[in-house]
Parts: sequence; structure tokens; C-alpha cells
Amino acid sequence: MEIEKERQNLDTIPKLLRRRAIEYGHSQVAMRKKDYGIWNEYTWQDVYEHVKNIAYGLLSLGFEKDDKITIIGDNDPEWFWAEWAAQSLGGVTVGVYIDCIPPEVKYYVDHSDSTFVFARDQEQVDKILEIYDQLPKLKKVIYWDPRGLWFYDQTQIMDINRLEDLGRDYAKDHPDLFEDLLLQGRGEDIAVFCYTSGTTGLPKASMLSHRNLLYAVNALGQYNQFLPMENYLSYISPAWLTEQILGLCGGVLIPLIIHFPEKPETVQVDIRDIAPHIIFYGARLWESLASTIQVKITDSTPLKVFFYNLALKVSYKRLLAKERVEGMGLLMGLLHSLVDFVVFRPLRDRIGFTKNKVGYTAGAAISPDMMRLFHAIGINIKNLYGTTEASLISLHKDNDVRYETIGIPFEGCEVRISEEGEILVKNEGVFTGYYKNAEATAKVLKDGYYHTGDAGLFDKGHLVYLDRMEEMIGLSDGRKFSPQYTEIRLRFSPYIKDAMVFGGEDKPFVSAILNIDYDNVGKWAERRKMTYTTYMDLSQKKEVRELLKGTVENVNWVLPEYAQIKAFVSLHKEFDADEAELTRTRKLKRKPIEERYKDILTGIYGKRESIKVESQVAYRDGRVGMVRTEVIVNYLN
Amino acid sequence: MSEEIHLKIEGLTLAFGNLLALHNVTLELKKGEILGVIGPNGAGKTCLLNCINGFYKPQSGRILYKDKDLLKIPAHTISQLGISRTFQNVELYTGLSSLDNLLAARHILIRYGLLSAIFHFGKSSREEAKHRRKVEDIIKLLEIEDIRHHIVGSLPYGLRKRVELGRALVQEPEILLLDEPMAGMNVEEKEDMARFIIDINELKGTSVMLIEHDMGVVMDITNRISVLDFGNKIAEGTPQEIKENQAVINAYLGKA
Repeated sequence: MEIEKERQNLDTIPKLLRRRAIEYGHSQVAMRKKDYGIWNEYTWQDVYEHVKNIAYGLLSLGFEKDDKITIIGDNDPEWFWAEWAAQSLGGVTVGVYIDCIPPEVKYYVDHSDSTFVFARDQEQVDKILEIYDQLPKLKKVIYWDPRGLWFYDQTQIMDINRLEDLGRDYAKDHPDLFEDLLLQGRGEDIAVFCYTSGTTGLPKASMLSHRNLLYAVNALGQYNQFLPMENYLSYISPAWLTEQILGLCGGVLIPLIIHFPEKPETVQVDIRDIAPHIIFYGARLWESLASTIQVKITDSTPLKVFFYNLALKVSYKRLLAKERVEGMGLLMGLLHSLVDFVVFRPLRDRIGFTKNKVGYTAGAAISPDMMRLFHAIGINIKNLYGTTEASLISLHKDNDVRYETIGIPFEGCEVRISEEGEILVKNEGVFTGYYKNAEATAKVLKDGYYHTGDAGLFDKGHLVYLDRMEEMIGLSDGRKFSPQYTEIRLRFSPYIKDAMVFGGEDKPFVSAILNIDYDNVGKWAERRKMTYTTYMDLSQKKEVRELLKGTVENVNWVLPEYAQIKAFVSLHKEFDADEAELTRTRKLKRKPIEERYKDILTGIYGKRESIKVESQVAYRDGRVGMVRTEVIVNYLN
Repeated sequence: MSEEIHLKIEGLTLAFGNLLALHNVTLELKKGEILGVIGPNGAGKTCLLNCINGFYKPQSGRILYKDKDLLKIPAHTISQLGISRTFQNVELYTGLSSLDNLLAARHILIRYGLLSAIFHFGKSSREEAKHRRKVEDIIKLLEIEDIRHHIVGSLPYGLRKRVELGRALVQEPEILLLDEPMAGMNVEEKEDMARFIIDINELKGTSVMLIEHDMGVVMDITNRISVLDFGNKIAEGTPQEIKENQAVINAYLGKA
């Protein structure tokens, strides 16, 4: 393949950039940035010139090979130029999130031994100046948005335009130096440090080479055919590895036209101008997009709401048929094309998804219902799984999107599940190590495999993410499972409000206590003309227990045999924060719940049919009473 | 900031019937400074601004600007001389977008004729592009890119105030009169607004006359302060001097 051939000669990002400039010159746009309400274009030649000037500027200020630069700012062309400039000289980039506080910034700059900082604006420059005296290795701070900095007279700071001027002067005496240095680069040179968020201890700098990044872009290309000059919206921070892969590396390798929104706040308007082919959002952004759609639909006219709901019904039917791999009839197919044209096409236009081929999500699980909604309105959203240390690992294939999995590992990415249930990865994307921390590196890199610390399993070729290893609980047979993973899946059902899953070395099998969702189950019962009096009554109805059984069976279907729920109880009451069963943010308080319902658990593991329970209830007027009832234990085969 | 006097008010007296709103007020605004005008309610602060931009006709006194007495000039020509203002209560076209509000304010700078405007080519379209560019400058300065196309009536109060400041700025004033630009704002909005005022003053060299009740803001961002009380100027000086001035303390806190 051509990409394959290119890859051998062009083994670094700057080399690729140079190739693009020779190939396209001023005839192709490389970047668009909205400014003053207008999209300003930069051709490949423009970009290359900026990178060259900045690189020469850095050289004139004493930049050397293997030096590091820290960049802190929003997604802007200048970030990309500065990063590519440093990489051209054999340097390394460290990206920092804009909301980091000065002590955090100090840690990154200091730990990475950065000699230059590129800071977007006054806010970021002020942060650096505050800690400047504690950073002896730092030579210069360069900013690219001069607002408010006009009258700063500190000599440590410099406008990027000034740096480019210095570069132009320096180039006069060293006309070939830049290209010489650029062509000396090798694929195994480190391109970026990505700091791990570090839930425990200080953040560690994961060192990623050009080869690591190029691997990741090619991996994505296996499952999605990217075409040159497709539109890409650069929105997530390049401090995150994903943007390093898609924007900074994919941008030159594929290449894409990279678009920068005017401001983070204007992205909803800007995205409509661009209509990107490829979008990467974090899970939370997808969620907010989904709720925006729902709110806007609810606010519109009854006629529109009617057609939207009708169209959704048709679309869901089609999705269901697709999931079951069955045909759906010519008429239904035609009807779907019609509603897609009439309802969903304008909707996609509204949110800037007219040309979108794929939307990636990563970071956290988004509920199957939400993924189904996006697919129904014609957005091809997929789970992408990767880690800062092993870059990209797996992704959904087109037409094989199973909402509860994290897709299928890429070709050339070897994934193993260890004895303990940990996901182990071996691919070209696996990092070189942590910077200045061989000890931590040795802990996670063993026999060429990166130990992700994530627990997972395979299900019919798809990789399933369970939980972090340290959250896993050991079962009586020594195997581990994740109660939280199962609980999240149970809660995805509209009929289950809360669930607590039990298991452990002292318990022979996994069981669960469920809370029905009173509203939804109540409506479900009414539609079936069932009579019921209270929550307690409804929760123990045979039909309701059968409904829950179906849900539990569905969840069991994605779990390995040993982690499947063998018995459950539909609790006679809801977990309540006032009774110290939940935190105020509705998280389970595991210990108190287990303590409180130990009779039920004894009953379950004693294989009893039903269990008599008493519970204290506090009435609204402050009186306290006792309620005696019986809950039935449901066993699954 | 220079010692050059940009606007000179001499012996200004304004009365409504028997009520003396301003009494023999003499005031100088220096080129490039931010002058704070403070005083208790009803001290005559807004009246002073209304005299400068020609809404009120004082009984006596002179307002000298560019060798002209502003009191002898019709109100609508004053803004063309380079004096713009904002109002205590926001006065915008609520049915238009922020962008259109700002563009509309540039009407005083439009140089093309009706015929050219009807056909919209040549001079008129070139000029429109130039106006839009100037307006976008201000939009960027005030960080209102995201509400560019929002209808002003649908915006929260703090943002409307910002649009109104923008409306004054697109006229490219040499002197900016701000009437309580931070009234009704929360702390964060005030900080933003204060930063904008400083930016405008530093970047464009605009002289600013600022009426404001928030003493913290006034003390922080002004170069000098004039204090009015019942139509009389009772003090003038640097923020530090004003803080320690006995007459001011009496006016604000009452006599001990």
C-alpha cells in the first residue's frame, strides 16, 4: 500500500510535514482557523514556513536536540506549529491542560526539563511568570495571543511573531540547518510526553515516539477509510494522547484539513460551518449533545415532536433488525430512507454532522441507550479504547457496533487477558517508558507486554472492559470480577433504578439486590392492566420479578460464567440516602448496605425461597414504624 | 497618560426648576487617563455625562473639546467628534443580533450614498467589509464571539452590558463615557468588564470617564477620581488621596 511505502521513508511527523509542503505547496489548504468571524486558511506551504521560522527562532535562542518544550493553551494552529518545530529539531513536546494551576504547571515544566514554554495568552503567561523563579532550566516563554500582554516588560517573555522574526534572521546564516536536522529524525525518537492523570501519586510522563503515533493513525485507518483532505475538527486538548494521534499525527499522515474553532465556546456554531468527517468527543460531550437534541426537540412544535418520535420508532426497528442480522423488508427500508431524509438529515445538519463518517468516544462508558439514539439519527458513534502508554488498542468496526463492548483489537495489536483477568497489550504503539522513572516502567512493561491495569475479557471477538484491576473483587474460586461493571449494566435498564452486586471469597456465587424504578415499572404494569398498591407490593409481583429476570439474563449474557448473577432479590424498598444506604450523590455505601441486609444475603446463599424482612420506616410526620414483609429470592439457571 | 487636556468642563451649572443638579462644576479629563466620577445617589454624575453628550442643556458653563464648545453643537454630531457613551440602563435594539447592533452603531462612519447602497457593489460593499472588520475587532476584544448571532433580547444582563460597551467602541471614540458599566453584575462579570476597560484604555489610548458605585473597582482601575455631592465637586485626586479625604468620607458616611 502507498501509506505503507511512505511510512518506511517518512518515519517522523516533521518528515511527513515536509513531504506535504513539497507535494501540495500553496495548492492545498492544511488548516483553517476561525478568527474575526471568518475562516482563515493556511496552505501546507504556509504551515511549513511557520514551523521552519519557529524552529530557527528556537535554535537562535539555544534550543538543542532532545530539548523539551511545554505547550499550554487551547487548540490553535500555533500549538501545532510549535510542536512540529520542536520535533523537527529532535525535541519533545509536553502538552498541558489550560485549567492546570501554577503548582501543577510547575511540576510538568520542571519534571520534563522543558527549556521553553509556549503559553497561549495572558492568563497562561501569568501562571508561568508566577513560578518562573522556581524553574532554572527555563529559557523563554513564548505566547501567541498578545491581548493584555502589550505592556509587559519582562524579558523572559516573547511574542511568537518576534520569535519567527528571529528565526528568519537566523535562517539567513544557516540556510540548510533546519532541513538537515529535520531529516536526521528517526521513527524511534520521542515525539511527545503525555502525562498520566495519576490517581495515585504524581503524574508520570509516558514517552511516545513518532512510530508509536504513526502506528495509532494507521490502526484507526484499518476500521475507517480516511480520505485525504477530509475535514477534522480539533477540539479535544492536545495534552490528551488522542488529539496527538488524530490531529497532530493524522493531520499530516492522512492528511486532513484541520479546523480550529474560534473559541471553545463557539464550537457549536463552528462545527456547523465545517461539517467534519471525523469527530472525537469525550463521553461527557456526547452526553451533552444527546441532551441538547432532546431538549430542543421537546421545545419545538407538537407536529415536529410527533414526526421525530415516529422517525425514531422506524429507525429503532431498523437498528434492531440489523443487530439480529435479519432483513427488514423493502417497505420498511423505504420508510427508513424517507424518515432519514425528512427528519434526521435536517437534524444532523443542525448539529454539524452532515458529512460525518465516524464519531469516536472514549474515556468513560456511555449508555447503550444513548449510543442507540445516535445510531438511530444516523451518527456512526463508536467506542475507542486506548491508554496513554499503549496508544490505541481496539475500536468498533462499521456495522459491528456492540454498545457494551470496546470493539475489536486492531490488526497488529496483540491483546491477551492474563490469569488475573488483566488486559495485556503488545503493539507498535506501546511506549518507550516513563520519563526518569525506570522503576514504574518495569512494573508495567514485562516481556514486551504493557500491563494496562484494566480488567477485561473477550466476548465473541469483542473486547469488554470491566473495571480498573484494583476495583476487582476476588471470588471464592480465586477469579476476579467487577461488581461495578455489572451494576452499571443493570442500571442501563429503565426498570432498574439501583443495584448492588455481591460476591467475594466468602460467597459461593454472585448475587444482587435490585431496586425497581417505581415510575417506569409502574407504567409498565399499568399498560398490562396489573393492579398494585405500593412499591413493596409492586416489587414482589411475579410479572415484575420475571421482567427483572429478563434484564439480569441480558446482563449475564455479556459476563463470563463465574461473574454471572445466580440469584437476586427485588428489594421491598428503595435504597435511601436518608437511611445511610447511599451517598448524597447516589453512590452505594457498600458496607452499610451489606450489613443492613445480611439476613437477605444469608437467605440467598442459604438457597431459601423467600426471606422475611422487617424494616424500620420513618414517616413524613416523624413517627417511626416497623414494616414486616417477605421478599422472594429469584434463582437463575 | 499625558498631561494634555482632552476635555475641559468649566463652571457647569444645570438646574431643573429650583433643583440644582450641577453647581459650577469644573473638571478636566486628561488624554489617555481613566477618570472616575463618584458620589452618592443624586449627586449629579449622570447629569454630567448627559451634558457632555448634549442630552441636557446646562444654564451656564462651557465644555471644551478640540477647540469647540460642545454646548453649542447639536447632540447628534457629538458622537461624530469622537465621544461615545454607554447608559446606566442598557439601550440596545433588543430584536437585533449583537452583530447587527454593533454594525448599526457605525452608521455615523458610513460614507457611501443611497444609490450605491441599493445596488451594493463597488464602494458600498468594500466599505461594508471594512465596517464588519472593525466590528469584529471589537467582538474579539470583548470576547463575545459566541453570541455574535444571538438576538440581544435573549441575552443575560451581563452580556447585554458588554454588547453595549461594544456599541460605544465601534464608533472608534477618543473619549468613552461609561455610566455604571458594572451595575447589577456578579464578581466575575465585573472583573471581566474591568479588564476590558483597562484593555481599551491601554491599547487604543482612549480617555475614559467612568461612573461607578463599586468602590473597589473605581479605586483599582482609575488614575484619578472626582467626587460629586449634591451637584458640587467636593474633591479630586488619586484614588489614595480620595480614600483619605475627609470631605469624601463625610459625604459617603455622614458627618460624625
